[in-house]
Amino acid sequence: MSKYFGMTEALKDFSLDIHPGEIHAVVGENGAGKSTMIKIMTGVYQCSSGEMLVHGERVLFHGTGDAQARGIAAIYQEPMVFPDLDVAENIFLSHRGLGPFVNWRRTYADARKLIARLGVTLEEDRNANGLTLAEQQTVEIARALSLDVKVLIMDEPTSSLSAHEVEKLMGIARTLRAEGVAIIFISHRLEEVFQIADRVTVLRDGRLISTRPIGDVTADGLISEMVGRDAGEFFARSERKKRDKLALDVRDLTLDGVFSSVSFNVNEGEVLCFAGLVGARRTDVALSIFGVRPADSGEIAVGSEIVRIRSPQDAMKLGIAYVSEDRRKLGLAMTMPVVANATLATLRKYMSKIGLLNRGREIEMALRYRRRLNIRTPDVDREVGDLSGGNQQKVMLAKWLDAEPRILIFDEPTRGIDVGAKAEVHSIINGLAESGVAIIVISSDLPEVLALADRIVVMREGQQMGVFDGETATQESIIRLATGQSSNEVAA
Amino acid sequence: MSSTDIGVAKRPLEKAISHLSDWEGFLLAVLVLTIIVNASMSDVFLTVNNQINLFQLSIEKIIVALIMTLIIINAEIDLSVASMMGLAACAFGWLFLHGVPIGLAVPIVLLIGVLGGAFNAFFITVMGLPSLVVTLAMLIGYRGLARVLVEDRGITDFPAWFDALGQQPLIGPFPLSLLIFFALLAFLVVVLHFTGFGRYVYMIGNNKEMAVYSGVAVNRVKATLFIASGAISALAGLLFAARVGAVRGDVALGFELDIITMVLLGGISIFGGRGTLFGAIFAILIVLNLRNGMALANITHHLQTGVIGVLLILSVLLPNLRSMLRQFRETRASARS
Amino acid sequence: MNRWSLADLSPQALRLLALLAVLVLVILFFGTQIERYYSARMFNRVSTSVAIMALIATGQALVVLTRNIDLSVGSIVGFTAYAVGGVVTRYPDLNPMFAIGAAVLAGAGFGAFNGLFVAYARIPAIIVTLGTLALFRTFLVEYSDAKSIITADLPEWILALPRTNLFSIGNLDIRLTFAVAVVVVVAVHLAVTRLRIGRKFYAVGSNPEAAVVAGINSRRIIFLAFVACGALSGLAGFMFLSRFGNITVVAGLGFELKSVAAVVVGGINIFGGSGTVIGAMIGAVLVGLLDASLVRLPYMSEFWREAILGFLILAAVAIDSVLMRRLFSWRQSRKERLQAQAPFESDGRGG
Repeated sequence: MSKYFGMTEALKDFSLDIHPGEIHAVVGENGAGKSTMIKIMTGVYQCSSGEMLVHGERVLFHGTGDAQARGIAAIYQEPMVFPDLDVAENIFLSHRGLGPFVNWRRTYADARKLIARLGVTLEEDRNANGLTLAEQQTVEIARALSLDVKVLIMDEPTSSLSAHEVEKLMGIARTLRAEGVAIIFISHRLEEVFQIADRVTVLRDGRLISTRPIGDVTADGLISEMVGRDAGEFFARSERKKRDKLALDVRDLTLDGVFSSVSFNVNEGEVLCFAGLVGARRTDVALSIFGVRPADSGEIAVGSEIVRIRSPQDAMKLGIAYVSEDRRKLGLAMTMPVVANATLATLRKYMSKIGLLNRGREIEMALRYRRRLNIRTPDVDREVGDLSGGNQQKVMLAKWLDAEPRILIFDEPTRGIDVGAKAEVHSIINGLAESGVAIIVISSDLPEVLALADRIVVMREGQQMGVFDGETATQESIIRLATGQSSNEVAA
Repeated sequence: MSSTDIGVAKRPLEKAISHLSDWEGFLLAVLVLTIIVNASMSDVFLTVNNQINLFQLSIEKIIVALIMTLIIINAEIDLSVASMMGLAACAFGWLFLHGVPIGLAVPIVLLIGVLGGAFNAFFITVMGLPSLVVTLAMLIGYRGLARVLVEDRGITDFPAWFDALGQQPLIGPFPLSLLIFFALLAFLVVVLHFTGFGRYVYMIGNNKEMAVYSGVAVNRVKATLFIASGAISALAGLLFAARVGAVRGDVALGFELDIITMVLLGGISIFGGRGTLFGAIFAILIVLNLRNGMALANITHHLQTGVIGVLLILSVLLPNLRSMLRQFRETRASARS
Repeated sequence: MNRWSLADLSPQALRLLALLAVLVLVILFFGTQIERYYSARMFNRVSTSVAIMALIATGQALVVLTRNIDLSVGSIVGFTAYAVGGVVTRYPDLNPMFAIGAAVLAGAGFGAFNGLFVAYARIPAIIVTLGTLALFRTFLVEYSDAKSIITADLPEWILALPRTNLFSIGNLDIRLTFAVAVVVVVAVHLAVTRLRIGRKFYAVGSNPEAAVVAGINSRRIIFLAFVACGALSGLAGFMFLSRFGNITVVAGLGFELKSVAAVVVGGINIFGGSGTVIGAMIGAVLVGLLDASLVRLPYMSEFWREAILGFLILAAVAIDSVLMRRLFSWRQSRKERLQAQAPFESDGRGG
C-alpha cells in the first residue's frame, strides 16, 4: 500500500491512498493540481511539507530515478520516447544495475517478452520515430513494467487514442491490475473512468474534493464536483436551421499510400464531423484541403468553382482555415505575445502598403477577441505559453476567426482542455455555424461528434466508410464502421 | 485591475528597458565602465574622430552583424559571410585586373553576393538542409572561389578615388562605410521591429512549422534573408577592399565567428525568436570600445579576443546563475515554512 | 533476394555502406587521374594527416550526438601541440608516454571547462565554445609569448614518430599514428554502441526531455561528451606536433569547422541523436583524401582545391538527405502494402 500526503502551492492538504491491484481514477479540470501531484509522486518535484509512504515506509525522492527504484513510474499524454532508438532500447535504456555493457540479445528477448505480456503486436527492433502515439505509449508501459512497477500513473493516456486503441489500453490496464499493480488513471473522459476505475478522486483548485468507490458516484455528480457548479447541459445538441448552399465539395480526393477516393461536401452553416480511429487519415485529408500536403488526384470545389490548392496560402485565399490539433507544435509560438499570435494569419490586414505594422489596430483586434471568446489573460502582451490550455486554444481560434473563413476545419478542437473550456469551444463552433460558416470537425471524442454534427463522415485507414446523419447516428453504429465491422461480419 | 481593462501591460519601450536590466544589465555596466576607463586613459577617446575611427576599423564586421542578427532571430545561421566577403573582394580585384571599369565591377560583385546568397537559400529552403551545414560547406566553397580568382597574388593599385572612398570622410566627418552602416541600421530596425516582414522573422524563428500552418511564406522570408546576407556581405567585402586598398585570398578570413560572437553577445538567442537589433548594437559598441580601450592599454589583439570570449560566456552565465540562485533560495524558503 | 536484404538494413548501416562506396569511387577516380596515385607514399601521407582529423572528428561526433557542438577543438589542438612541444623541447628526455598523457589530460581539462558551462550552467554550447575558441587561443598566445616551436629543437623520438611503422602490408606502411587513431576511433565506436552509458549519448541527443523523465543524468552525459572531445583533441594536438614540428600560434586554426564538416559528411545528424562514430571517421578520411588528392590533379590549379571541397561537401549532404528521404518513403509505402494484406494487425500512422 502506498500513501501520499503533499503540500505545495499548487496542491494543498492533499492526501491519497492507493492499494495494490486497484485502478484509482483522478479527475479534475485543468489546473486542478493533477500534474503537480504526478510530478511529486515521480520525484520531478519535491513536496514542501507532508510525507509520502511506500509500503508503510517514508520516502523522499530527489529525482525520477529514485521514484523508479521504488517502483513508481508514469506514462504521459504525449509519450516520451527516444525517436532515434529502437523499441527494445527505449524500454531498457534507463535501467540501473545491469552492468556496464549492453547485452543486445537479452535486450531484444526481454523486450519481446514484455510486449507479449501486454498482448499487443509491436516489433522490438523498430525505430521509435515511426511509431504511432498508441504504439509509443505501449513502449512506455513496457518500460514501466520492465522496471517492476508497483504504482503506474497514467496521465490522460487516452486523449490521443482512438476508441479501438483505448480498448486495447484498457485491456492492458486490467491485465496489470490483475497482476497486483496499482494504477492511477487520470482522464478527462468520464465514460472511461466509469468503465475501468475502482475508486475515483476529484481534485479542484489544488484541493481534494472527494474519494469514493466508483459505484457510489454518477457522471453528473462528478462533473459538478469538478467544476464546482451544476453540470448543466454540456453536450446538448443545438438546433440549427438548414441551408443548402454548397460551400465545399470534395470528389475522389486521393493521396497515394495515405488515403483514397474521399468524397464529401459541406453546406454553409453546416457542421460536418469526421469520426474514425487514430490512423484513419482524417488529418491527412484536412491537410490536403488546406494545401500542406496536396492530394495526388481528385477535385476540390469551393462554392461551385473547381480550385487548385498547392499551399496554405492558396487555401487561405479561398477562405479555408485549419485549426490544428497540435497547439504546441503547429498552433502557436509559445514565447510570443498573445497579440502577435492572434494576428499572424491575417497580418496583412494590419500592414500598411509598404508593410509597416499598425500596432494599435493589432491590439484592438486582440482585445476584441479576448472579449468575444472570453480569453482569460490579464493583458494581450502576455506570452501565450503562460496561458492555460483552454485559453491557448481560444487564441488559436482568434487567429483563424480573424481570417473570416467561409470553411473552417477544426482538428480535435477540445483535446486536453477542461470541461468548462470544452463547452465554450462548442458554443463558439455552434455560433459560427449559425452565422453561415461551413465547419468540418475532426474528433475522436464520440460524444462530442454526436453533439456537434449535422452529418458524420466515418473513415478507416484512408478509406471513407460511410456518412451518417447527425441526429440518427449512435456511438455504436459509428464505432462499428470505424473498426471495419460491417453488420454482416458482426452477425457472422 | 486597470491594466486588465486596458489589456496592454507595458509599452514596448518599457518592456525593452526591463529586458535590458534582466539580460543586458551586466553588459551595460561593462560598457559604461569601459567608456569611463578609456576616457580617463586617453584625452582623445571621447572625440568624434576617435569614435569614428573605432567604427571604421571593424566596419565590415559590424555591417554584416546587422543582417546576421535577423538571420539568427529567424533561427538560422550563415557561416559563409566572411568567405563571401573574401569572394566579393577578390572578384572585384579580378575584374579590376581584367580592365573592367569600377562602375561596372561593383554591381557585378553585388550580383555575385546575391547569387551566393540565393545558392545558400536554395539548399536551405528547397532542399531543406540545415543552414549550419549548408553555410559551413560554403564557408569553404566561397573561400575557395576567392582563392581561385586571385591565387596567391595581392591585387593593389586601385584608383586613388576608390581607396579614398574607403578611407576618407565623405559627408562631414563620416566616411562612406559608416554612412552605409547607419543607413542599413535604420532600415533594418524599421524592417525587423515595425513591419510585417519583421514579425514573420520572429514568428518563424519561434516556431517554423506553426508559421507554415498559418500561411506564412516561410521559405520566401528565409530566402530573402539569405540573399540579403549574401548581398550585404559582398558589399562589406567591397568596403574592405576600398579601406585596405588591397585584396588577397584571405580577406576577412575567420570573421564569421567574430560576427556571430557580436550578435550573440547582444542577447539574441541562438535558438531563434528572441533578441533585438538594439541588443546587437549594444554588443557592437561594447566590443569596439573594449578593443579600443585594451589597445590603448597595449593589450594584444589576441588577448582582446580572449576577453571578448569570456564576456560572451559571462553575459549568459550571470543571468543563469542569478535565476539558479533565486530558485535555490525559493526552495529553501518554502522548505522552511 | 539481394535487394530485399539490403533494404532491411538499418539506415545507419546503409549510410556507412554508401560512404564506403563513395570512398572507393573517389579512390578509383583519382587513380585514373593521378600518376602513381596508388603508391605507398601517397597512402602514408594521407593516412598520417587523416589520423589527426579523424581523432578530432570522433570527439566532435560525441558532442554533436548529444545535440551540442564544440567550436573550441581547433584551439585545444593548437594549445596542446604548443604546450607539449614546449615541454619536450625543454626536457628532451621526458618519457613519451608522459608527454602523450599530458596532452590528453590538458585537452580533457579544456573539455571539462566547456562541459561545465554547457551542462551545469546551461549555456548553449555554441556560445560557450565560441567563447572558449577565443579564450583557449588566447592562453596559447600568452603562453607562447608569440614564439614558435621549431622542428630543430624537438627531440628525435617525436619527429620519428610519424614515420614509425607498426607493420606493412606489401608496400603500404601502417604508421603508428594512423593505427593509434583507428584503434581509438574503433574503441569509441564500441563504447557508444556497446556500453550502457554510451547509448545514453544517443538518448540525450535524441530527446532531451525524455532523457530527464527516464532518469538519465543528461548533464553528466553532456559533460562527459565535452571531456572526451577535449581529450581526443589533446591527443590530436600531440600528433599535430609530431607531424608538423613547427608550431605557431595559429596551429589548428579552422579545425573546428573542418571537424564539423567531417562529422556531417559522415552522416551524423547535426541536431543530435543519430549517426555513427565510424561514419564520422570515414567522413574525416573522405574530406582528408579529397583535400590531399585534389592538390595533385595535374590539370587543375591547386587553388581550386578548397572551392571543390566545399561544393563536394554540400553535394554529399544534399544527396544523403534526398536518398534518406526516398528510402524512408519507400519503406513507408512498403509497410503500407504489407499492412493492406493484413489490415487488422496495426493502425498505421497519422490521424
